[in-house]
Amino acid sequence: MKKRLGVAVLILFVVLSTVLAACGSGKNENATKGSEGSASPSASAPASSGTGGESDGKNAEPFTVSLRHIQIGEAQKFRKAILDDVVKKTEAEVPGLKFELDGVEDQVNRFTKLPAEMAAGNPPKIFDLFGGAGDALKYAKAGRLLDVTPIIQELGISDKFLNLSQFTLDGKVYGLPIGGSTEGFFYSIPLFEKYNIKVPETWEELEAAAETLKQNGITPFAMGSKGAWVPLMIVNTLIGRYAGPEAIDGFPAGTQAWNAPEVTAAFAKYEEWVKKGYFTKGELGLEYADMLNQFVTGKAGMMFDGSWRASVFKDPSQAGELTGKVGFFPMPPVPGGKGDQTYVNGNYSNGYGFSSDLNERELTAVKAFIKNMYNEEMQLRGLLEDGVLPSMKLSGDALGQVEDPLVKQIMETMRKAGGAFSHFDSTVQSEVYKESESQIQKLIAGMATAAEVAEALQKVQQAANAKQ
Amino acid sequence: MKHPMRNPWIYTLFTVPTLLLYGLFFLWPMLSSAYYAFTDWNGLENYRFVGWSNFSAAFGDPDFRRAIVNNLIFIGFSVFVQIPLIVLFALLIASVRRLRGFYKTTVFVPSIVSTSVIGILWGFIYEPEVGPLNRLLALFGLGPVYWLAEPKWALPAVLIANAWQWMGFYIVLVLAAILAIPKELNEAAVVDGANGWQRALKITVPLIRPLISVVVMLSIAGGMRVVDIVLVMTKGGPVGATEVMASYMVNEAMGVDPNYGFGTAIALVIFAFALLLTSLYQLTFGRRMEGGEF
Repeated sequence: MKKRLGVAVLILFVVLSTVLAACGSGKNENATKGSEGSASPSASAPASSGTGGESDGKNAEPFTVSLRHIQIGEAQKFRKAILDDVVKKTEAEVPGLKFELDGVEDQVNRFTKLPAEMAAGNPPKIFDLFGGAGDALKYAKAGRLLDVTPIIQELGISDKFLNLSQFTLDGKVYGLPIGGSTEGFFYSIPLFEKYNIKVPETWEELEAAAETLKQNGITPFAMGSKGAWVPLMIVNTLIGRYAGPEAIDGFPAGTQAWNAPEVTAAFAKYEEWVKKGYFTKGELGLEYADMLNQFVTGKAGMMFDGSWRASVFKDPSQAGELTGKVGFFPMPPVPGGKGDQTYVNGNYSNGYGFSSDLNERELTAVKAFIKNMYNEEMQLRGLLEDGVLPSMKLSGDALGQVEDPLVKQIMETMRKAGGAFSHFDSTVQSEVYKESESQIQKLIAGMATAAEVAEALQKVQQAANAKQ
Repeated sequence: MKHPMRNPWIYTLFTVPTLLLYGLFFLWPMLSSAYYAFTDWNGLENYRFVGWSNFSAAFGDPDFRRAIVNNLIFIGFSVFVQIPLIVLFALLIASVRRLRGFYKTTVFVPSIVSTSVIGILWGFIYEPEVGPLNRLLALFGLGPVYWLAEPKWALPAVLIANAWQWMGFYIVLVLAAILAIPKELNEAAVVDGANGWQRALKITVPLIRPLISVVVMLSIAGGMRVVDIVLVMTKGGPVGATEVMASYMVNEAMGVDPNYGFGTAIALVIFAFALLLTSLYQLTFGRRMEGGEF
C-alpha cells in the first residue's frame, strides 16, 4: 500500500511540475526568441566607444532588453529611424545585448497596455512614457520606475534638460523627455492665398479667417474627435488664454475652479465654434489621422495640432501637394483674457521611462541607451530630420542648422513667447482628465453646454483634490 | 493491500490535480474578483475595502444605465427583428432546389470572418463621404448621414453590422432543422390542399420550435455579452451612444484612470444580469416553447 501510494505521489508530482512548466512557458519563450535573434550581432559586436559598460569579451552571453516604442506608421518614420540608430549603436557597445523592439500605437500603449503591465508589475525594461500626474508620477509613486538621477549625473547631462518637471518626483527624475512640443495652428498657405487671408495675429483675424473659409465651403479647422484628446488640445490653449497660464496648474492645486467664468469662457468659445460649423462634420467618428488627411487634402484650411506634426509637411509621400506649403502660428491673444497672452503651450512630456526591475546587465544596457539617445547629436537629428523641438539645451550653432521654414516658424514662436504652460492632461488627476474627455465629446455632440461641462469637471476636480 | 483501487485515498489523490487546476483557474479567479469588486484597486496603489460603493456608483452613473438599456436594445433587436428574418431566410433557402448549397455558404460566410474585419468593412460602408451607403442615399438626394459619428444613428448602424455577422450562423442552424422534417408531412399537407404559407406556418415553424427556442436563448446571451463589434466600430462612442455593459467595463477598468475594482464589479453585474435573463426566459417562454420537456 505504501509503495503504491508513493507511486501515486510521484505521478502527482510529475503532473504538477508539467503544469507549472506550462505556466512559466511565456517567459521561456521570450528568452529563446531573444537569443535566437541575437546570435549574429553578439558575435560581431565591437565595443566601439568603450564607455558603454565593462566589456567582458566578445563572446558575452546574449541577453535581451525589451523596448516599447510608439513610432509606428508613416508619420513616425523619422523618429523610428533615430530610434533604430540608437538601438544599433547601443547593441554594438554592450556585449551580448539585443533589444527586443515592440511597437505599439501611442494611445493603446499609454492608456491600455502600459497601465495593465504596471499593475501586473511586468512593464518592458525601456518604454515610451508620458510625464505628469496621470502617468510617470503615478508609476513612480508605486515604485515601478527606475530613478535615473544617478545615471544622468554620471553621464553629465543632468543639467542639460530644458524641463524635467513632468518626470520629477521629490527631486528624483523618473523619465527623460525625448523632445519638446508646442500646440498651435497649422495653416494651408495655398488656401490662405486663394482666399486672400492674412495670417491671423489677432483674435478678430482668426475668426474672420475661419468665417472666410467657411463661406467658401472649406472647413476652417480640421478635427477628428473620436479620440477626445484631439479637441482637448484646442481647449487647453483656450483655457491658457481665457483663464491665464497659471490656470493649468491651478486645477489640481485647488486655486483655479473649472466652473469659474474665465474657464467656462474657454469652453463657451469652443461650443460657439462647434455651433458655427467651424470643425469637420462628423468629427466624432474621425480619428486623429483623419484630421491630418482633411488638412492635407485641402478640405480644411487650418489644423490645431502639436509641433510634432511638422515633419509630415516636408515629406511628399505624406503631405502630397501641400509639401512645404504649410505655415504655423500660435493662438492669438483673446479679448479680455487673463494673464500673459503671449504664453504658448509647451510640453516636455513624452519620452522614455525605465523599469525599476533591472538586473546589472540590463542596467548597463539602459545606461548605454540613455547615453546614446540623449545627446546633442540625436537631439539635433530629431530637430533637423523630424522637426521635434529639442528637450535638451543645444548650442546656437546647432540650432542655426535648422532650414525647414516650418520648424523655424515654430521655434520662433517658442522664442517670442513670454513663457509656456503645460497641457492639463499632465497636471490634473487621471479621473479629472477622464471626465474632460467625456465632457468635451458631449459638448461637441450638443448634449451639454459649456456651463454644464465646467460644472461637471469642477465636481470631479473637487472630489479628486479632497482625496489627496 | 491487494485492491488499492478500493482505497478512497487513492481516488482522492488522483482527483487532486484536476481539483487544483479547477481551483487555480476557475474558483480562485472567481472568488478573488468577487473580492476585488468591493475594493478601489487600481492596480498600482494600495487598495481599500469600499463596500457596495462600486455597485452604487455603477447604477448611479447615467452612462452605465444607458449601457444597460443598449444591451436590452441589442437583445430586443435580435429577438424581434433578427429571429423572424432568420426563420424567413431559412424557409426561403429550404424551398429552393437550385443553388441551395451556394446560398447556405454565402449566408454563413460572415460568421466565420473575424469581428475586427467586419467592423472595419462596415466602417467603410458607413463612411460618410465615399461610403457606398451614403452614395446610394445621395442618388435619392438625401444628404450625407454621419452614421458612426451621430449619436442617434450609431446604435442602429452597429446593430445592423452585428446582425449581419450572426444571422448566417443561425440561418444554417434553422435550415438544418427544417431539412430534417420528414417530407411526408409536407406531402400530406399538399394533398390536403395547403398552400406554401400555410405549410410554412402550420407545419414547419411549429416543428422547429425547440430549435427557435434555443436560438432565442443564445441571442439573449449574445446580446448580454456583445462587446467586440462595439469596440471595433465605435469604442462605445459617440458620447456613449453605443456603449454596452461590457464596453463600459473595458473603458472603466482599463484606459484613462484604470480602476480594476470598479471593472470587476461591473463584470459581476453583467454576470448577474445574464443569469437572470436567461433563467427568466427558461422559466417562462422557453419551457412553453419546448413543450415543458426542459
